[in-house]
This record gives sequence, C-alpha cells and structure tokens, in this order.
Amino acid sequence: MTLNLIETLPESSIYLPTQSRILEVQPLTKLEKLFTIELPGGIALGHKPGQFVEVSLLGVGEAPISISSSPSRSNGSFELCIRRAGDLTSVLHRMTSGETIGIRGPFGRGFPFERFRGKDMLFAPGGLGLAPLRSLINQVMDERGNFGRVIILYGARHPSELLFTNELAEWQARDDIELHLTVDRADDNWKGNVGVITTLFPKVDIHPRNTVAVTIGPPIMYRFVLMELLGKGIPEGNIWLSLERRMKCGVGKCGHCQINHLYTCQSGPSFSYAEIKHLAEAL
Amino acid sequence: MSAKPKVAFFDFTSCEGCQLTVIDSLQTHPEILDVIDIVCFREAMSEKGDDYQIAFIEGSCTRPSDEPVMKAIRDRAELVVALGACAHLGGINAIRNRFDLDDVRQYVYGDKAEWYETYQARPIKDVIPIDAVLPGCPIDRREFVAALKALLQGRAIQIPDYPVCVECKLKENICVYLRGKTCLGPITRAGCDAICPTYGDGCEGCRGLIPDPNIDSLKQILSEHGLNPEETLAKMTLFLNYQTMEREAVDDG
Amino acid sequence: MSFKVIPKVAMPEWIERLCTGYRVVGPKPLHGQHIFGDIQSAVELDLGYPTTVIPPKKYLLPQREELIRFKTDGSQVHVETVIEAKPTVVLGIHTCDLHAIQLLDRVFQQGYSDQHYQAHRENTYLVSIECLQPCIPHSFCKSMGTLSVTNGFDLHLTDIGDDYAVDIETKKGARLLDGFSAARDVTDEDYRLFNRVLSDKWARFPLRLDFDITELPSLLSVSYENKLWDELGERCLACGMCTNVCPTCYCFNVTDEVDFTLSAGQRTRVWDSCQLDKFATVSGGHNFRASRAQRQRHRFFRKGKYQMETYGLLGCVGCGRCGQACLADINMVDTLNDLYHRHANDRE
Repeated sequence: MTLNLIETLPESSIYLPTQSRILEVQPLTKLEKLFTIELPGGIALGHKPGQFVEVSLLGVGEAPISISSSPSRSNGSFELCIRRAGDLTSVLHRMTSGETIGIRGPFGRGFPFERFRGKDMLFAPGGLGLAPLRSLINQVMDERGNFGRVIILYGARHPSELLFTNELAEWQARDDIELHLTVDRADDNWKGNVGVITTLFPKVDIHPRNTVAVTIGPPIMYRFVLMELLGKGIPEGNIWLSLERRMKCGVGKCGHCQINHLYTCQSGPSFSYAEIKHLAEAL
Repeated sequence: MSAKPKVAFFDFTSCEGCQLTVIDSLQTHPEILDVIDIVCFREAMSEKGDDYQIAFIEGSCTRPSDEPVMKAIRDRAELVVALGACAHLGGINAIRNRFDLDDVRQYVYGDKAEWYETYQARPIKDVIPIDAVLPGCPIDRREFVAALKALLQGRAIQIPDYPVCVECKLKENICVYLRGKTCLGPITRAGCDAICPTYGDGCEGCRGLIPDPNIDSLKQILSEHGLNPEETLAKMTLFLNYQTMEREAVDDG
Repeated sequence: MSFKVIPKVAMPEWIERLCTGYRVVGPKPLHGQHIFGDIQSAVELDLGYPTTVIPPKKYLLPQREELIRFKTDGSQVHVETVIEAKPTVVLGIHTCDLHAIQLLDRVFQQGYSDQHYQAHRENTYLVSIECLQPCIPHSFCKSMGTLSVTNGFDLHLTDIGDDYAVDIETKKGARLLDGFSAARDVTDEDYRLFNRVLSDKWARFPLRLDFDITELPSLLSVSYENKLWDELGERCLACGMCTNVCPTCYCFNVTDEVDFTLSAGQRTRVWDSCQLDKFATVSGGHNFRASRAQRQRHRFFRKGKYQMETYGLLGCVGCGRCGQACLADINMVDTLNDLYHRHANDRE
C-alpha cells in the first residue's frame, strides 16, 4: 500500500496572537491603566468603535478587552483601558513600555457609525463603560460637523474612579458638548451631582426621534438606563449598548459568550436594544 | 517576587504524605531547586530557616498550642498555601468533630487521655488567613508543580472549580457507577485527573466540594445505588465532614 | 460514487493493510462498555458495538489540543502554530455520530475557519457503518432522522451477512481500498441482500419522540419559561458529563502552561461545558447563567433550536449518550416528550 501523504498542514491559526509592543502605560485610577499598543511595523489595527481585541500574555492566557481609542486617532497605535480585575490583568498591570503582548483581532461587530451621522448623540457610560465608549465619542468629535448635539451623561461610583479626567476637562470646556457628571459617593472636593447615573437624565431635554443613545456599563445599570431612554421616547432601534460576556476565543467557536443563540463575539458585543430585547439572557 | 523565593514547609496534624508528594516532585522536577530556595522542610532536610516568603502548611489545627505556631508562620510569610486535605478541609482528622471529644480521647488514649490536649479539628483557614489551597489526600504532584510556576510568575494559584467527573470523562473512563460502585466525583473538586475512578474506585471527596454542589441530588443517586443513610453519611463525612457540618449548621440556622 | 464488497473473512487483511499506512482507530470493548481506540489488528475491533463512552469527535477535536507553542529568548518572542494531524482511519462510525460530524464541520468552517479542526478533518478518513439493531435504551436516532446516511462519509459499510457492502463516497474512501484485491465488485445477489437488510432494519427501531422532530424548535420556543427547567435544575449535578459525551458539543476553554524557566510553554484548548458553574462568568465575577436550571435549559435549546438557527442542523443526533451518562437520569427523550405533553395539556 502506498503511504498516504499528510495533507498540507496550515501554518497559521486563528488562535495565533500577533506580538505587539506596549508603547506607553498611563495610570488612570487605582484600578485602571491605559495601555498604548503598537502592532508590528505600526500597521493600523483597523477597528471600529465597539470592537474588542484578545489580549494575550504567553504563559498566562488571554482576555477580551474593548478598544478605547478612536480609529480616527490611530497614529499607528491603539489604546486599551484595562482594569485590574483578575489573573491576567494583574500581570498586565505590572508590565511597562517596551514589553511585548499578544493581540488577536479586532473582533466582533462595532457600532454602525455611518447610521449615526446626522443624529443627536446621547452617550451614557457608567464606570468602566467609558473605556469603550470613548472610542466612539472621539470618532464623533473628529467629525463633529456631521452630528447634531453631543450629550454625555457619565456616572462613576466615586470621583477617584472617573476615567480620562483630562479628556473630561476638555469636553467640559467645549461649547459643543453637553457633559454631565455624577458620582454615587462624593468626596470633599466634589462640587457636582451626587447620585446614580439615572439622576442625570432629567437634566437634559432631547428630540427623541433624532437622537441615538449609546450606553455602556455594568449589567445592573442597563435595566435602569434603558427605562430612562425608552421613557424619553427614543426608538428601540436607536438605543445601542455593548454587552459584556466571556469572549474566550473571539471567533465564534468556544461557546462561552453565547446569549441565547447569539455569539456575542460575532453578533455583538454592540447591539441595539431592538435586537436583544426578546433575548431572555441578554439583560 | 524576588528572583529565587525562599520557601518553607510546615506540618501540623497530618500523615505528612503531602510533603512526601513534594519530595516526589523534587525528584521528577529537580529543576525546581534551581528556581526556589527551600529554607525549612523538616521531612527532607535538617537546616531550619525562619526567613521565607512562601509557607506551605500541611495538616489541620487540632489543639490550642497549634494556633500561635500557625500565626507566627503567617506573620513571617508573604504567602501561605494550605497543602492537602488536612490543611484545606480539616481532613480525616475532622471526623472526630461529629463525636463527643472526651469519648474520642478516651477511645484513642485510654487512661492516658488526660495527658493530651485536643479540640475540634479545623482547616488552617479558620485560624489564619491563607492565600491559596492545594487540595487532595495527598496533593496532586502536577498541581503542586503548576502552583509553583504560578507563584514564580507572580500569579495566583489556579485550581479547578469543576467536579472530578469532567476529568474522568475526558479520560474516557467507564463511570464507576456503571461498574457497580458509588462515587463522590460529581460534587468533588477536580485537579487529581480523576485518579481513583481511573483505577476503578469511587471518589472519596478528598479535594473538597465544588462551589454550589448539588448534594441533595447526589444523596438521592447514592440511595438509588443501594447506599443506606448511614453509608451515605459515612461517605459524606470521611474527608468532607468539616464542610458537611458547616452546611448542616447553615441548614439548621 | 461506487459499490464494492468486502468479505468478512478478509477484514483482518484489510485492517492490517490500513495499519501500514494510517493510524487506525475503531470501537473496542472496555470494562463492559466500548471506547474508540487504536486498532492494531481486527481482533481488537468490535463493529457490533452498542455505543462508545465518547463519540469519535475526539479525533477531530481532541479533549486536549495544543494550539500554539512559544519561547522567549531575551527580548525575542517566538510563537508558532501547532498543528499535528496524522492520517487516521476511523472505523465503524455510527450514522448518528456521522450526522454530528456534519454539524461540527459547519461550526468550525463557518465564519473564521479553525485550521486545527480543519487539519484533523482533512486527515481523517470516515468509515461509517449502517446500524441494523437498536444500540442502547436511550438512543432515539429514528426519531431524529439520523438512522441512516447518504453522504458525509468516505466509506460506508453495511453488514449483509458474510460480507460488508461498501459504499465508496469519496476519492479518500477509494484510496483505502487501493490494491486490496479481496474487495470485489458487487453481484446481483449482493444487491438483493443489501436491499433486504436495509428494508428490514427500520421496523426494529422504535420512534421514541411523541411528536415530529420538525416541531422541536417551535416546541422549545414556547417552552422557555416552563417549570420543567427548574425541575431539571433540582436534579442536575452540573458535572458536565452530558456535554462531554455529546457528539455535537464543542465548547472549549484555553489554558497556558509554562516550563520552570517561565519563558517557554504552550497554549492548549480543553473541552469545556456550559453545564459547569463558572462557564458564563466574566472577569468581574458576574455569572450570566448562574443556576443549574438555566444551564440545562441552555443545553436543550442549543440541541433543539439554537444550532438549527445558526448552522441549519439540529444539535441533537439521538445517540442517547447524555442520557446514559447522566446519574440523575436527565435524558433527551423523557425531557422532550414531557415538554410536548405539558404544552399539549396547556392548550386543552
């Protein structure tokens, strides 16, 4: 019998990370750091706001992290705002500029930016939700003329947990952004609103039919924010959110991120409320 | 953690079999000694150092005089790891917690009973805060090796949070229930590579309960497989007595 | 493509020939059950096996599989894909398991193509066998429409008495018979026997579902809030046996290992299970399917509805392994019939 030759074996793998360089690590809060990452040769990541990458530390593991920088400001690098929450992120927080990390992606479906043009934008991030939403906000700001009003309602638990405070100050200073901040618990220096994010909604009047709302935050926040947004009369298809799940493989195989029949890493993580309201496992 | 961390091993009430497994690991993985400094290990060497970052403690706390010794170890070490079922769960020493301690002492030591101090056997986490656990009677060698690597990487020790059945099925073992025996695999934490079922014996639960175990359902299954309530209780109180009594206390409360 | 006949007396010779060019695996007895394992000679092979503990999917998606290997050398990081696929002949695949492989093909080829699965798949020769007798009490292949196959195999064997009729579907299959002179052409008598065997077999298999399988996705659609899931959750041990023995389950976890230099190691995927407590837990600790009832419901919905919606095939092939493995006796047939009757009663 003639020995059968092995079919040609592929050399690449959808699970093979691209070794990339940390250009800069910037502490934002006690728990969050902003990592600037450069792919080999400074090639663009080519992402959309709302997408994520798999961050890979060889010998430790991988974790899905949403992209925090806007594609309009790529400069040959991209930014990830990473909270120290578990095993991998703890190791990551000890890393410094010049070190190597693996990147796979970008994965998932981003926000349909093209459909947002011409609309008033209402952004409602809660806590770490500003990290992914910043990508979209800055893309909107970079073509500010194509949008109507830009309203940002941002809630954090404590003033010390506010992310991107420099940018918040810039936004605050502009007259084409309506920025409202709130914290659950104030400190002595806090002069602003105190209360959960929903206490900000009565402060803004909107044109519901011309407004797209994008909210990202912890699971518990969505139920209350959605009530506010729906209460303001924004159509379900114009309310967008991003759902956090355990997107282990990023490529629609491993099963961890399923919401009913949907793979979050493929169909999401950005969804309109109209798309997920009938999915019992979504919210 | 510094380049070559100093590691110490201690034992309380136990058979010291977990430390034997550590010695086994040093034989199969001699390179361990290139990456850690063992400064105290009564079972393996005569030197004794009290400058260490990582302390592995085998054995349960069974008498008042154990407590200050454990606390002194905790004060010196940056990391304390419970080594094996006795340190993790109280181990088989905790079987006695179900009985009157005077009777137990009388039974074991007879007319010399008064000479020995003893009280209820406890896992070390009830005496001092601990950072990690390596379960098992004895510990699993590969898990010990993986734990050392994790510590060297500056990571937390990872142990499985799923039951023995997972590892057993992945090895394609024939379920011991289908071989006419009973097994605590469905409620017991994996990490042993299902060693007992692999050799045809039911799991005795030495690695402790998984998070959120369905004990009521397993008891029903044990009874359908011919165990009477006394036999079921005996099974649930061999390695698991401390955890079982904790659960009973909650249920009663 | 074409038909041949292999006399049973020539099977040892065929297997011996296969063993010279391929890794050959097939059903073998073990402690009163059967597993798929390596075959060196025909005496080890038991083609009359009822079922196996784990389905042959393990040759396409191994329980543990290295995906990448890495080595750090100073500031240089070397990472490489690991794909090792030996030409493997899987003998004696039941038709239910063959249907399952068709679903796995879609899962791993649709969207991002998984090169690791693909390499195994291309190097695996599927030799299936027609089931002529019901295998285990839990199986319900006839109800699921998986009691036979017309494609998806390389070779398909049918026991026609003293011989096996061999349906050669692919060039890969034909290669397995290259130069094997005992494989002879089919005679009219062979065809007569073949037809008789096939038409006789159906009556031996019971229809075990009380409804038509095409109704399953819609039955589940109206059953999401049914109390039955809570009842299953009470019994379920969350041990993951049902998914690990399932021929269409493919979920996995990925873990890294390093050597003591901490600079070299590998990334491995390991079968995972949606039935395990932490499967849907995210890094902040929130568990999106925290109860056993939710997890069992998810499994049944994947089998009976979600896979159909995503891949166009049902996620259950009626092999019965999950029911046989479950110590709490949670099984497909009783559960689905129970749902159907509860729903029918609700409507009355």
